[in-house]
Amino acid sequence: MSLTAPGTRHRQGLHLGLIVLALAVLTLAMALAVSIGEIHIPLATTFKALGNALGVSDYPLDRIHESIIREYRLSRALVAACCGAGLALCGAILQALLRNPLAEPYVLGISAGASTGAVCIMVLGVGGGVIGLSLGAFLGALGAFAVVLALSRGASTSPNRIILAGVAGSQLFNALTAWVISTSASAEQVRGIMFWLLGNLGGVRWPDVTLALAVVIPGFVICLLFARALDAFTFGQDAAAALGIPVGAVRLILFAVTALMTATMVSMVGAIGFVGLVIPHAARFIVGPAHVRLLPASLLIGAIFMVLADIVSRVILPNQSLPIGVVTALVGAPVFAMILYRAKPPL
Amino acid sequence: MSIQAHGVSWSTAGRLIVDDVSLAITPGETVGLLGPNGSGKSSLLRLLCGLRRTTGGLITFDDTPIETLGRRDVARRLALVEQSATTDADVTVLDVVRLGRTPWRSMLSGWREEDSVAVEQALAQVGMGARRHQNWHTLSGGERQRVHIARALAQRPRELLLDEPTNHLDIQHQLEILALVRRLSTTCVMALHDLNLAAMFCDQLVLLKEGRVAAAGTPESVLTCERIRDVYGVETVIERSPHHGCLHVHYLPQKSPVGMSD
Repeated sequence: MSLTAPGTRHRQGLHLGLIVLALAVLTLAMALAVSIGEIHIPLATTFKALGNALGVSDYPLDRIHESIIREYRLSRALVAACCGAGLALCGAILQALLRNPLAEPYVLGISAGASTGAVCIMVLGVGGGVIGLSLGAFLGALGAFAVVLALSRGASTSPNRIILAGVAGSQLFNALTAWVISTSASAEQVRGIMFWLLGNLGGVRWPDVTLALAVVIPGFVICLLFARALDAFTFGQDAAAALGIPVGAVRLILFAVTALMTATMVSMVGAIGFVGLVIPHAARFIVGPAHVRLLPASLLIGAIFMVLADIVSRVILPNQSLPIGVVTALVGAPVFAMILYRAKPPL
Repeated sequence: MSIQAHGVSWSTAGRLIVDDVSLAITPGETVGLLGPNGSGKSSLLRLLCGLRRTTGGLITFDDTPIETLGRRDVARRLALVEQSATTDADVTVLDVVRLGRTPWRSMLSGWREEDSVAVEQALAQVGMGARRHQNWHTLSGGERQRVHIARALAQRPRELLLDEPTNHLDIQHQLEILALVRRLSTTCVMALHDLNLAAMFCDQLVLLKEGRVAAAGTPESVLTCERIRDVYGVETVIERSPHHGCLHVHYLPQKSPVGMSD
């Protein structure tokens, strides 16, 4: 009998294979996202342009194609991938810390808080530019987080309370957002904001890619360092503490990372719901509950899902694009209902 | 002495739950914590393993105050089995028992041979080795409790604290869990409700009343009719059982309070 229990060579190889497969699928999905659009660009051109951009090749390409790829579609696909990855990661972290299968940034009202913060910057004109908006969204997300955690004090004894607190928090921040919009925004601003509240990848450019990567990559590394600590939360906070986990510090760090990632994503692309809910469950189904595998799996599947959702949002209606939040909600809401239906009654 | 409490108090939300409790646990013994609901058994266990900070008094491990030890150091010498703890996660028996190695592994260290040995021994001690791949949600209450004990044993603790380990179990499984605990060479402190089972399986008993120690010592010295009347308000006859040689408490029907008889 082998005693190298947690990952025999065979299983480790399998998981490495899955990661390679997911990366390949992600690359293909992003290539498709770059190809598909009002002006169709052949896949081969996409890969050649990518080679040119990376400086490994020098294919002669249509300059319009190359500039569409470089200036618009590649940055958009990268931000979509980062957002999907980041939101799915946040969902996995929150579900573990709060021991609730329904926990995710959108359901907990963190996205709503970030929206309120961002709308205050956009409409009330506090600050300006990408950093100003991100900062507003970040402060809004932190505020929402604080409100939800304060409302759900003692959530360790009743994991469902945090969801109710999230509902209350969402309502509060959505009301504040609506208040700011209806009292201060011009008609044109309102149209822009409504589209943005449902998620919109239309405006992203290269600085957004830099910001998204700068948040998601360190965020992922930090979360992965805490993978084992998250496993220890399986039977609750006290059980984790009894296993030697500094529960307060771990919660503080991971909540801060989650709030930072969510806030950055929302400030760039608006509130996109249900990605953080659906993807960790799908990932758990494939690789199991251990976080050292679950977190990378959530990251990759989240990235793939969001890139595909972006493609769907652009092609589902002729000559018009649907807000991406609508697409993710159409997939996510039924899954939410399914999880609610399957949830085991508390003992 | 392994764990000692020196005049420990704990209050929460303005209510004093544990009141000036002193006790000393002798290594290798099985100690039963008895007392009515709300007498502070669970709270005292949580104080003893450092999950709650005392509001007064001192807890020491081999004369070292618990505050000076890190969470991980405490987890390496003391394990806690909570009352019917469960999870929504789709974990297997092996996943749960492996959690016991958490305090022995650093953030980046891999799984080592000694971790496997500890997990295998723990599984064998509770007789769950053959069912390691079984899903948590398919286990019975008694099996779950055995897996929790295996997880705690995988921590390689010197002391094991158990909070009502037989709660919600039928009598067969209660006896099975207590016999299992009794067999362990580890020092055990467990909160129990059943006085007869406590008399059968514990070397020492601590009887709590409203957060205070009403009596402590051998079952023979703690379980007396007067004390049970005082602590639980129940009339009893206590005798040594001719069948198993331990004390046996017979509960007598309660007389109707005056005014309810007619």
